[in-house]
Amino acid sequence: MVRSIFMSIILLFGTFAVVKQNETLAFSSQVIERGAFGDDVIELQARLQWIGFYKGKIDGIFGYGTYWAVRNFQEKYGLDVDGVVGTGTKEKLVNASQYHRDWVMQQISQGNRFTHYGGTPLANQTKAGGGGGGGGGGQGTNNNSTVQLPPKYTERDLQLMANAVYGEARGEPYEGQVAVAAVILNRLESPDFPNTISEIIFQPRAFTAVADGQIWLTPNERAKQAVLDAMNGWDPSENALYYFNPDTATSAWIWSRPQIKQIGEHIFCY
Amino acid sequence: MKSAIYLLSIAVLALGLYAYDSKQRNDQLEQAIYGQYTNSLTNASEKLSTLQQSVSQSLLFQDQQALEKELDNIWRTSNEFRSSISSLPLNNEITNEWLRYVGKIGQEAKATADSGNYETWHKKMEGVHKNLETLSDEWTVATSNFYQNDGDFSKWSQVATKETKDSPFKNVASNLKSYSETDFPLTASESDWQKKRDLKNLNDKEITKDEAIEKLELIVPGVKDATYTVSTSKDDAPYPFYHIQFVKGSRIGYADITVKGGHILSFLSERPISEERNVNQQQIKDISNKLLKRAGYNDLQIVEMRENHEAWHIALARVAGEDKALVYPDGVQLKLSKDSGELLGLNAMEYVQKENIDENQKVIPIDWETFFRPGTLVEDEKLIYTENEALQLRKCYQVIAHFDNGIDDTFRIVVDAETHDVVKVEYMA
Repeated sequence: MVRSIFMSIILLFGTFAVVKQNETLAFSSQVIERGAFGDDVIELQARLQWIGFYKGKIDGIFGYGTYWAVRNFQEKYGLDVDGVVGTGTKEKLVNASQYHRDWVMQQISQGNRFTHYGGTPLANQTKAGGGGGGGGGGQGTNNNSTVQLPPKYTERDLQLMANAVYGEARGEPYEGQVAVAAVILNRLESPDFPNTISEIIFQPRAFTAVADGQIWLTPNERAKQAVLDAMNGWDPSENALYYFNPDTATSAWIWSRPQIKQIGEHIFCY
Repeated sequence: MKSAIYLLSIAVLALGLYAYDSKQRNDQLEQAIYGQYTNSLTNASEKLSTLQQSVSQSLLFQDQQALEKELDNIWRTSNEFRSSISSLPLNNEITNEWLRYVGKIGQEAKATADSGNYETWHKKMEGVHKNLETLSDEWTVATSNFYQNDGDFSKWSQVATKETKDSPFKNVASNLKSYSETDFPLTASESDWQKKRDLKNLNDKEITKDEAIEKLELIVPGVKDATYTVSTSKDDAPYPFYHIQFVKGSRIGYADITVKGGHILSFLSERPISEERNVNQQQIKDISNKLLKRAGYNDLQIVEMRENHEAWHIALARVAGEDKALVYPDGVQLKLSKDSGELLGLNAMEYVQKENIDENQKVIPIDWETFFRPGTLVEDEKLIYTENEALQLRKCYQVIAHFDNGIDDTFRIVVDAETHDVVKVEYMA
């Protein structure tokens, strides 16, 4: 009898130790607020979800959903309500919640749809696959490809433009790649072109990469960065609407366009 | 010998089969594309006809409800027509002219529905109506060749490669150009916008290439002593600028600086970013403010920060007037590395020529509780200057509102501070 009680106590402590080991206090010392991105935000969202304040995706992006959740938490716990996560907020949150870092990171790296609510076994809160599938109900998905974009653009726009930039200008300097992305966005603002990024890219004869199928090559990170910079306002083309390679262009019309500058192999014009 | 002939026969047979299969597949693809183009052409023709009828019908009514219905039809049909036209392989010149002209009709319809200025609409559309009729006739003539039901794909491949002067759409293109100029001349606000965009109005003293490099090194000390290649913009460029390309160690980048006044338009530098994260969000803010001060941008305020895998993108707007309103069209963007906070990019194209703002525009308070439905929470009210649909710069309220329902859908709403017209509603992630 004594032996079985002793064994039970050891087992209980063992289990507790395993659980505590998995529960990592990983917040870094930095103050985070809206606009932040990364592991600290993943922990923040997971902890807020554990205690029911956050219902959105655990994707590491400190957007408005996370912001309101932080404010509500701060209000409930008698903290300054500013949506900024400093030492005080972190301490209260760590004391009030749990965070299963390894489990959360595993779900993210596997692209699973998952939540991290307290009171429900974690095993029941995950579904395989669905990366990028959106979903609802606060399910997180693989965030490897997640980026923060200006509100008027979507990740689909980013992907499509990155394909176009990679297909059209992968051998060009970075400046030239940003310029190609900027031309697509300039067309979006111009009354002479269609109204959506997709229509602009797939407009017949608009881009060589569409005609020769190179748009379907998998873009690299550099092409994505170039698109991201263009979406954030950079325009090395200086407001160009067209570009062409002077060594291969045969259309008299394109040569008649007023030219602005040359970057690498491309002349940019309007 | 026999074996060689045997092998050769098999090879010829295999080649023949392969050629036959390829031709079959090619034909099938051509037929599929031919069908798609014919569908788009038919759609475009039908929409053009509907648009012409709707414009004509809009001239019938004075009754507000009946007219607004037609205006809505015109706006919708113009968008559908633009979509069909843009999916046809016409040459750029013809497509652009169509998109511009029909887009203007749609915009005008929407603006009239918003403003209620029906008299101007009727006056303007009398001319547009006649011109649309002419265009419609010419379009029918130009496209008749595509309806001969012969499935000849070469017609499409030819039209795609022909210059406008040799194209069956030559008359349509030339009329569209002239109708665009007469029916929709640039308005004052559009001209202003265009002028700003073109930076033609700069009258500052011209600087030399060396001075341009000095200017760059002042703003970005990290590129000091880089290897530079400096060229000037092409002769046709609407405003002259120096195009400076630099290489320093692993850093490669460029900067465009205006010849008149030496204003930096944009700068970008590329280098490998390490995994180390030695700067936090507050430090990024501090670094941004310091470098803005060093560059002489003393009237800017951070309005948005976005962290991504390698860098921070920071958006700033000019602060103007006694009420410290944010002038969004006079924005500056910064890009800072996450490993060290190094300045990787600066974009100040819109900031170079400042907008003329009307500080005397009335600001009439809004009761947000009655403006929004119950259950909507409003935070962060600010005054900003932004362009409305008529491209007029207006002082507006900007509020962030969200539903108090646990889902927290969040919106940025911009409302004209004087008229209380809603200028913009943006869903915030």
